[in-house]
Amino acid sequence: MALKEQELKVQKSTFKSGNEIAAIAASQINFHLMGFYPITPSTEIAEMIDEMKVEGENTIAMVAGDGEHGAAGICYGATVAGGRVFNATSANGYLYALEQMPVQSGTRMPMVLDLVTRSVSGPLDIRGDHSDLYFALNTGWVILYANNPQEVYDLHPIAVRAGEHADVRLPVIVGFDGFFTSHQKRRVQYFEDGQVIRNFVGEQPKGFPNALEPRKPKTFGPYMNDPDLINNKYQQHLAMQNALRVIPELFAEWEQVSGRKLEMVESYRMEDADVAVFLLGSAADTGKEVADRLREKGIKAGVLTLHVIRPFPVAEVQRALRNVKALVIGDRADSYGANGGNMAHEIKSALKDDPENKTLVASRLYGVGGKDFYPDDAEAFFQIAIDMVSKNAVDVPFDYHGITAVTETQPLEVVAPLTKEEQQSPVKVEAIGEGDSLELKVVTPPPRQMMGMAKRISPGHGACPGCGIFGALDNFFRALSGDVVVLFHTGCAMVVTTGYPYSAHRVTYIHNLFQNGAATLSGTVEMFYEKKRRGEIEIGEDITFVMVTGDGGMDIGMGPSIGAALRNHKMIILEYDNEGYMNTGSQLSYSTPIGHKTTTSNVGTLGGGKSFHHKDTAQIMAATHIPYVFTAVESNPQDLWKKAAKAQWYAKNVGLAYGKLLIACPLNWLSEERLGTKIVQTAVDCNFFPLYEVERGHTKLTYDPEAKGKKVPVEEWLKMMGKTKHMMKPEFQPVLQAFQAEVDRRFRRLKAMSEHPDL
Amino acid sequence: MAVDPKQGAIRLSIKDEYGFFNIRLESIGGYGANIAGKMLAEAGVLYQGLNGSNFSSYGSEKKGSPVKAFIRFAEPQTPIRLSSPIEEPHIVCIFHEALIRTEPVVRGLRPGGIVIVNTKKSPKEIQEVLHLEHATIGTFDAMTIAVETKSRVNMAVLGAIARAAEFLDEEAIKSMIVDTFTKKYPATVPGNLQCFDRGRDEIVFETFENGEAAPSAFKRGGPAYGYLNMPLGGVIVNPGNMAAKDLSASRQGFLPAFNREKCIDCGQCDMVCPDFCFVWENGVDKRGRPAMNLLGIDYQYCKGCLKCVEACPTDALQDAREVDGYAKEHMVKHINLLVSGR
Repeated sequence: MALKEQELKVQKSTFKSGNEIAAIAASQINFHLMGFYPITPSTEIAEMIDEMKVEGENTIAMVAGDGEHGAAGICYGATVAGGRVFNATSANGYLYALEQMPVQSGTRMPMVLDLVTRSVSGPLDIRGDHSDLYFALNTGWVILYANNPQEVYDLHPIAVRAGEHADVRLPVIVGFDGFFTSHQKRRVQYFEDGQVIRNFVGEQPKGFPNALEPRKPKTFGPYMNDPDLINNKYQQHLAMQNALRVIPELFAEWEQVSGRKLEMVESYRMEDADVAVFLLGSAADTGKEVADRLREKGIKAGVLTLHVIRPFPVAEVQRALRNVKALVIGDRADSYGANGGNMAHEIKSALKDDPENKTLVASRLYGVGGKDFYPDDAEAFFQIAIDMVSKNAVDVPFDYHGITAVTETQPLEVVAPLTKEEQQSPVKVEAIGEGDSLELKVVTPPPRQMMGMAKRISPGHGACPGCGIFGALDNFFRALSGDVVVLFHTGCAMVVTTGYPYSAHRVTYIHNLFQNGAATLSGTVEMFYEKKRRGEIEIGEDITFVMVTGDGGMDIGMGPSIGAALRNHKMIILEYDNEGYMNTGSQLSYSTPIGHKTTTSNVGTLGGGKSFHHKDTAQIMAATHIPYVFTAVESNPQDLWKKAAKAQWYAKNVGLAYGKLLIACPLNWLSEERLGTKIVQTAVDCNFFPLYEVERGHTKLTYDPEAKGKKVPVEEWLKMMGKTKHMMKPEFQPVLQAFQAEVDRRFRRLKAMSEHPDL
Repeated sequence: MAVDPKQGAIRLSIKDEYGFFNIRLESIGGYGANIAGKMLAEAGVLYQGLNGSNFSSYGSEKKGSPVKAFIRFAEPQTPIRLSSPIEEPHIVCIFHEALIRTEPVVRGLRPGGIVIVNTKKSPKEIQEVLHLEHATIGTFDAMTIAVETKSRVNMAVLGAIARAAEFLDEEAIKSMIVDTFTKKYPATVPGNLQCFDRGRDEIVFETFENGEAAPSAFKRGGPAYGYLNMPLGGVIVNPGNMAAKDLSASRQGFLPAFNREKCIDCGQCDMVCPDFCFVWENGVDKRGRPAMNLLGIDYQYCKGCLKCVEACPTDALQDAREVDGYAKEHMVKHINLLVSGR
């Protein structure tokens, strides 16, 4: 085996997390395209591929979706076009994309998706369990699973080959535990020369239909009804059967290349085991550690784990368990009401088909929501098996492990609920006239008088020092009178104000999924008015409904927001824009301006920050012809209060109001915490963020930097932030000029609209 | 690096039942504990040929929130198969003294273990606060070292760890510092190395052996509620309770100092404060008309961003290096906010 030795030599020992080594593997494979959308804990993979790309280590086309559903669509389109395609996601991102998954498999388009497993909402939990993975079981994808970073690396080239195999032609998931594997650094052997990986995966097999052959046109995705669909599905079933044959062949081939052996079913010290536990992912490695220690005490303990979940390797599971006296199956997610998790049922089903098998089987639910799995948890599982052997019976076939019945905690009232009086703002709105001649007169007091207004968010929230969100939100809320119900989209403001069992909200607060806030709150609003109409709520009750979102929420939630605006519900959508997905670690949003550096728009030899211009969300919302749209900043509070008060009036009397607040994010803008107010004011003064309102179709600039003698070029703003420092360098002059030109163009347009009554 | 990672000869004289030497860093997001943990582990694994693992506490914590970083070291042939957090460390490093008040920082420390604390206090004074009877405690003013070397606390802590853990090669860690920062922030390398050296040299250790060494009485933290008393659906029935939190450990050495004499009650500070720290009361203005007056700052929530100092049109708010006890002495609590204690 001269080849093997030669290639083994070029392997290098490194120290990487699961995400890091997944990114390296994908970069080495050099997929044609990655469609992605950030979600913890898989986000880093796209970030690191982009980082390597700007240094010339790969040429993967990185396409940032408008949400996971969009990202999955981008991937699908790219596979139909015949490319090698990659994606990475987790939890609700996966669920949001779920309907795309059976399409990908049912139309037989191979690709690779890293599913970095995480608990599915709700309540929202960002840590690792297998509840997202279990949704994948019925999608028709091949599912490979890695228990540690080394296996993460090894399974990537195999996933490409398995999916593209002529007898398989299916998309493939490479799954691994969120955080436990994705974020823990371990020793990993890898090929420093990516060519070894590219040689292994080889060229894409030819001869399969794709959408980029105009001389050989095809129809992809016709509708297909009952007499035919079952046969398409049987083809998928056969492909899975074939995968059972193909995958072990690829494992063997990989062993030739890497020297590392992989098996569909990994049996650790199972050959003579009396008691065994089945675990998936990082917990299986913990189980091995405990099995070793039990063996030292004379207990014949073994561990069973799967590296291939789909197709489910029935024969191998049967063989491994043939002589085991008692088995405890751990599931890291429930199939509620099914009396056990999915793995428990699948393994039990395999054993039922083996007439010779006499293994006693119990199953336990563990580690939900990322609850750590310690060696003593594995010991407890083995103990259950040992007890079953001694009693020769299964006392409790299924239960949860690691639950708490009751604690001493009492939900103490820490701050009193706000009274109506405390919520009366000194800002007053008066409506003069009606119809087209209606005019709202807003009287704002000097700031000192505003200091008595109670805050609807309590101190104690966990935002970063210098966070711009809360100053801006508080100034908005100060100008609102009366009861308020808020809905926060997923994002920094939501995360730092509601870490269980704490909440910083003194008024009623709702959180639903990332993209669905506008739809959710419109339902709440309509229920309020319907209950009022039916007399189920007192007529005098008056509530203002405010949805708070980041610019990320307005990307993934653009559709529902436009829907709510078109339906014109009596509510406010308030966006705090920090120009990026800061909650997940500063990835680009569509509101990130061109040239700005984020973790998915890196700056390097081959990259100059974000490649396209910032989204003009205020104008998009204005185009829905809602009664009121505004922009505002914390550095001009009087202007902000006026607009907030108007927004409330319109949201109570007419329909939807939308406002956008530019706020500083010192952490990810790489700017000084103390300078946030000045930085946003400079963004206004350079006309990047014009302060204006669109009131019943009439645009009005409320502050013109030029007229005030404050106008500055965009450089003055950009040089205040580390994320744009590179734009001052000569090599980035073209992008700087393009940005200035776009800012000027948009401002001229806005000014013309401001000056013309019909625009 | 001169060390050959394949030598495989390195031995650990102290290890737990799994063969691991365990280090836990207790810190605040923004102090650089994650990167310090990563560099320490990389130095051991890549440059010294040890086996190791490294990770941080996970959550949605932001800069300024408590974080932990974990490093496991093992001899080259010992596999690392545990992914649970380190509960019984051999070394604990406390990046900010204020954490002692708010977090169980030395929970699970092994008898005879080492605690490294960033503080101006002596080991003896810290020993009294931590109630550790069998431990070696090292203290140093890492914040001042960091400020003076234009570096960060984490580099000084690495220097202290290099002295505390004898199997770690100081040169390996320094090489890792050079490798980590040379590419992206080359200007910081000399200061970081200087900070490391001063941390190593200035840490003062004292060993305490009072009475019999009790085995570690470790108790795992539990949930807030059990399934019998948790409100259904995860609803929080006492909202606003975040006001019970103490965020003072978020400050990184600076806070705003308030001078009432120079204050004109203009409210500019309050309008930019992200953390709602300013305390007002109903009073009268200079002409005797009813008006709001600024009483002071509730430092329990102040994270030291100093936006208020920038906003202040007079000298009423100014930067100050935080000295022990200042915040407590000058604290003005929010009126009528908290109805019950923590």
